[in-house]
This record gives sequence, C-alpha cells and structure tokens, in this order.
Amino acid sequence: MALTLLRGMRTPVSLRSNTGLFFNVLRPRLSHFTTRAESAHATEPKAVPKSIQLATKEAAEQKTQGFEAIIGIETHVQLSTVTKAFCSCPYDYGSQPNSTICPTCMGHPGTLPVLNEKVVECAVKLGLALNCEISMTSKFDRKQYFYPDLPKGYQISQFDIPIAKKGYVDLDLPVEFGGGHRKFGITRVHMEEDAGKLLHSESGSYSQVDLNRAGVPLLEIVSEPDMRTGIEAAEYGAELQRIVRYLGVSNGNMQEGSLRCDVNVSVRPVGQSEFGTKVEIKNMNSFSEINRAIDYEISRQIMLHKEGQADQIVQETRLWDESSQKTFTMRKKEGLADYRYFPEPDLPEVVLTTDYIDEISKSMPELPEAKRRRYENMGLSMQDVLFLANDDNVAHFFDSTLEHGADAKLACNWIMSDIAAYLKNEKLSIHETKLTPLELSELIASIKNGTISGKIGKEILFELIAKGGTVKGVIEEKDLVQIADPAAIEAMVDKVIADNPKQLEQYRAGKTKLQGFFAGQVMKTSKGKANPVLLNKILGEKLNAK
Amino acid sequence: MTAMLSAAAAIPRLRLVTRPAARLPSARSNWLRPLSSATHVTPPAAAAGAGSLEPPDLHRLANAARISLTLQEVEEFEPKIRQVIDLFGQLQAVDLESIEPSLRAGTATGSSLREDKPETFVNRDAIVEAIPSYDDPYIKVPRVLNKE
Repeated sequence: MALTLLRGMRTPVSLRSNTGLFFNVLRPRLSHFTTRAESAHATEPKAVPKSIQLATKEAAEQKTQGFEAIIGIETHVQLSTVTKAFCSCPYDYGSQPNSTICPTCMGHPGTLPVLNEKVVECAVKLGLALNCEISMTSKFDRKQYFYPDLPKGYQISQFDIPIAKKGYVDLDLPVEFGGGHRKFGITRVHMEEDAGKLLHSESGSYSQVDLNRAGVPLLEIVSEPDMRTGIEAAEYGAELQRIVRYLGVSNGNMQEGSLRCDVNVSVRPVGQSEFGTKVEIKNMNSFSEINRAIDYEISRQIMLHKEGQADQIVQETRLWDESSQKTFTMRKKEGLADYRYFPEPDLPEVVLTTDYIDEISKSMPELPEAKRRRYENMGLSMQDVLFLANDDNVAHFFDSTLEHGADAKLACNWIMSDIAAYLKNEKLSIHETKLTPLELSELIASIKNGTISGKIGKEILFELIAKGGTVKGVIEEKDLVQIADPAAIEAMVDKVIADNPKQLEQYRAGKTKLQGFFAGQVMKTSKGKANPVLLNKILGEKLNAK
Repeated sequence: MTAMLSAAAAIPRLRLVTRPAARLPSARSNWLRPLSSATHVTPPAAAAGAGSLEPPDLHRLANAARISLTLQEVEEFEPKIRQVIDLFGQLQAVDLESIEPSLRAGTATGSSLREDKPETFVNRDAIVEAIPSYDDPYIKVPRVLNKE
C-alpha cells in the first residue's frame, strides 16, 4: 500500500540536510510553538485573570449588541490503553519515531484489524459518565481520504451508529468568571483510531512521517451547539478533562495531544432561528486559549455583521495564533469533504450486553459533578467545592481526612492554602507527599483542642509534608505543646514588662500599639508556644493595671 | 481491501463487458471495482428507481481516488464504468427491504475482541526496509500542506 501511495509523487530534487526547526503541519508560520512540559497531575492552569462576572457579562454584551454566539466543540480523547486499537503494538508518548509499529498499523496489504477490548470498555465508561444512551450494537466504518500520516488511506471510525449518543454534562463555571451552573448536551461519542504524526521542515521541500501514533485509540465526543461564550466552552473542555482523568481512560493532556478540541463558532442576531455561518477554529493548546480564541472570533464575526459585511464570514478553518491573540484563515473549505463512508468489512459489529454495561456502571468512581454536589451540601463555598473536586487525588485526600473525623471547612482550608502552595512549589501531586490524611486530621484536632497554636500547626504541617511522621511525634520531638497555663504566662509577661521599662512608659503614655511589641517578646521567650488569646488577655490586664 | 478485489474478479462477465476484469491489478484498475454512490454509502437510491443507478462523476471520482486520467482515458472508461454500475442497477430490481445487509463474511463464534496486552513486532527491520524513502527515523514524503 505504501507503493500505491507514492506512485504519483515526484522525488525531491535535492536532499537537504536537517536544517531549521520542525513544525507540526498545522502550525502557521507566523510564530512557532514550543511544547510546554506539563506535570501529568497538574490540572489546567486558568491564566489571564479577568474581571469578575465576565461570563455573564460577555453573554450580556453580545445580547446588547444584538447577537448571540453558537458554539459547538468536537473533542478527541486519546485513550491510555496499553496497546493500540486494532493491533498489539504498545504506545508510549515520546518513543523513538517509527518504533512502535507493525504491519497492521502501517497499513500493509493482507493485514486485518482486531479490536482491543479495553477500547470498548473505555467507550462505555465515558458514555455512561456523559449520561448517554449506549448503543447495544454499533459498527465501524471507513472514512476515506489521502494524507501521508494515514497509512491505510482510510481511518477506521464510526459513522452512523456510534457507541453512545444523546448525553449531557453538568458543570459549574469558575467563581472568578461569574460562576453559575450549566448543562451542555452531548450529541455522540464514538470510537476511532488516530493517525500518525506529520512534521515538516521550515525550509525543506519535504515532510516527515512518524507512524508510532497511527492506530492509537481515540474517543471522539461531539457536543450539542449549546455553549454561548468562550468561558463556557473552556469549562466544558476542562470538565471533559476532569471526567476522563477521574475514569482513568486518558490522562487528558492538551499539551501532549491526548486531549484535542476543535471548536465551531457562529453568530446570529438574537431572535433568528437559523444558525449563522459556522467557522472552525483549531490550534488551541490550553483551555484559556480556547476561551480567548472563541471570544475573539465572536467579536470578529459580530464586527463584520455590524459593518454590513456578514458575507465575509465564510465556512472555513481558522487557526488561533497565541502570540498575536487573533484567528487567521488556514484554508477555505471547498465544499464538504467526501469521505465515502462504508461499513468496515474487516470488523464485526460491537455487541454489548446489559450485564456488561451494568458491571461497568457499578465500577465507576464518583464523578466530578456528584462530588461537587456532595461538597456543596457540606456547606463549603463554591470556590472550595470547585477546587476540591477539580483533581481526583485531592478529593480523595479530602474525603479520607474527613473520614478520620476532621471538620470539612478546616480540612479544606489547609488543603487549599498551605498544602496547595507546597504542591505547586515542589511540582508534586498530593498523594506524592509524605503527609497522610490521618495526620492532617490529627493536626486539625490538635489545634482545635488547644494542644498547639495555629501558627505552630503550620510548622508541623511543613515537617509532615516534607518528611512524614506523626503530629504527636513532631510535637514531642520539638517540644511544641502550647503553653496555656495562666501562671506560666503571667510569669513570662512579668519578666518581659520588667525587662522593657522604656516601652512600658511609652505604653502608659498612650502608645497602646506597643502591646504588640510585648506580645512578640513573650512569644519569643516561649518559643512561639504561648497561647495567643490567653497571652493577650493577661498582657492587657498587666499593662493596664497599676 | 483484498476482499473487495476478489469480489471484483468474481463479477460475472456479460457480453458488454470487454476487458477490465482481466487486467492486471495495477493501482489504476483498483477503481474498476464497483463503488457505490459517490457520497456516503447508505443504501443507494430509491431515488434512482429500481433498475438504474447514477453513474459516478468520473472526474470527481478520479480526484477522490487520487488517480490522474487523461481526457482520452476518461472517455474510454466512462462507458465501461457505466456498464459495471448497470450490473448493480439490475440488482436494484430485487426487493431487499426486509433483508439484513450482509456486511461481512461469517459470524464470529466467541469474542472477536483482543486482550490489551502488548506485543512488539519482531521484524521491524523488514518494515523499514520496505519504506521507499526513509530518512532515519522518519518516513520521508513530499511536502504536504492541506488535507485537500
């Protein structure tokens, strides 16, 4: 098959050595993009601080201009199965090019695909998580087109009978963007295989193909055109990422390419029932880029409408350029592509039983939406809820801490502040530190019952998270028990007052702020162990007496 | 794909059909095997009526198949393709409404799924050998920009 592919091609006139940088073919020449390393555990950072109420503000703005935007998203999720979809080649991101290949995924004649059972499992899991109807029977089809990264000349996909359809996803918009609950429809979920990678040199007259990725299983998720603003679209993407990570079907890394979103945007005057011309946007590498790209495109289209140039909006694919913060035409769509779909004769129908689906349903973890509702019912603020439910590991840690008896709000505070800061600094995930949920609950309890002060608690936390151990152990080792005996504190206060006659005079003369100075001195003497409330009470009495 | 080729060879030869089936399986003759309508395939046209099928737009078909034809070849092949399509058109006369489409041979007894267990293909060298234009470690191809 490789031979038929190359028959019509001209051989390059000169073979240049590898000069220049290599770009993924979809990147425009306007700027080049370096891959950003992302910790597999870190969730997508929401950069670009915007003013509050922006989501609703933007939607309102659109309306005041008389338009509304219709946004739909197609997402491709690369499954983290051990082997490819239709052959037993392993797949590892970053392998030496053209090393994880075999005649089947290379599309050599005489080879036949055999479906990986894990792919079906992942598809059903995701379908259930997205509240879809699962098709008891579905089939594969061939989507035919020619491209160097597509070895067989067709992609095995599912055309008219996908494995799941008619679902929805619930999510909450981030507080800093105005908050609010949304529900977006899912049209379908289907199984297909990925193509290889095509790179082409900046200067050279040739391109290069790496087929490691050819045949890797994908799930394509098509949304209903329910989103109206960039932030809604970005949050939809983030929720899909959360879900696939919770389920363990994919690591959902946009940077690695295991989560890819293509967005379709159109605008129409409010009240009009027909959709406007749809424009596809590609090349967004993070959720914040999705947000900004869509908002830009919406304004661009509204602007054209207002200038009476609505006909300038054509059905096309545009690329987002992060450096200039604009979308650019990639190519005009020359009519619909003719993929000549027909049923894949080499693969049998995928037949599911209700037992199979029930089994999978029972094995599903608690999903982000369920977690958010549960945390909300605990009385936590929306901000807390969104933070905790964002990462499955964090939610699990939090739940475990509560199981040991800790108070929800306090546990949440510790996790969101000191612990989160440490994780960010050290680039770790919460379950990679030495802190255990049991010890966190111990810490909270110790502060609550007065054994240690809050400030000391922070020190202990740092010990535990970096070196492990137990709260009791650290307290003993470092002699951190809070001093709460009034007599002991009195003694210290007396000494500090006696040692600082000048400040005492100033205080008596009216400089009452100096109480802080005295308190500090007592704290120093007590090595931070004096109970602050008691200290200030006794100090106040002593300073104001006489 | 191989299944389709053998199907083409098995078409009964009517007197109108001259040579095509006898031709060697070069890349060109691949497209002589019957393709159903140019757009996606769901059962062809009730629209065309029983007994006839729309022949494909040859230019569009050749373009989709990435096969370049001279004007003479287009003229030559058009009637031959029409003949092949007409063969299938004759099949339209049969009432198949209540019959399940026979999409593939046989039914698998037992599971047709594969365990998610890795196996490294041992003869990678042979694959690499077969690549006509290899620029270690990549397959070298002419510069391509668009999918169209």
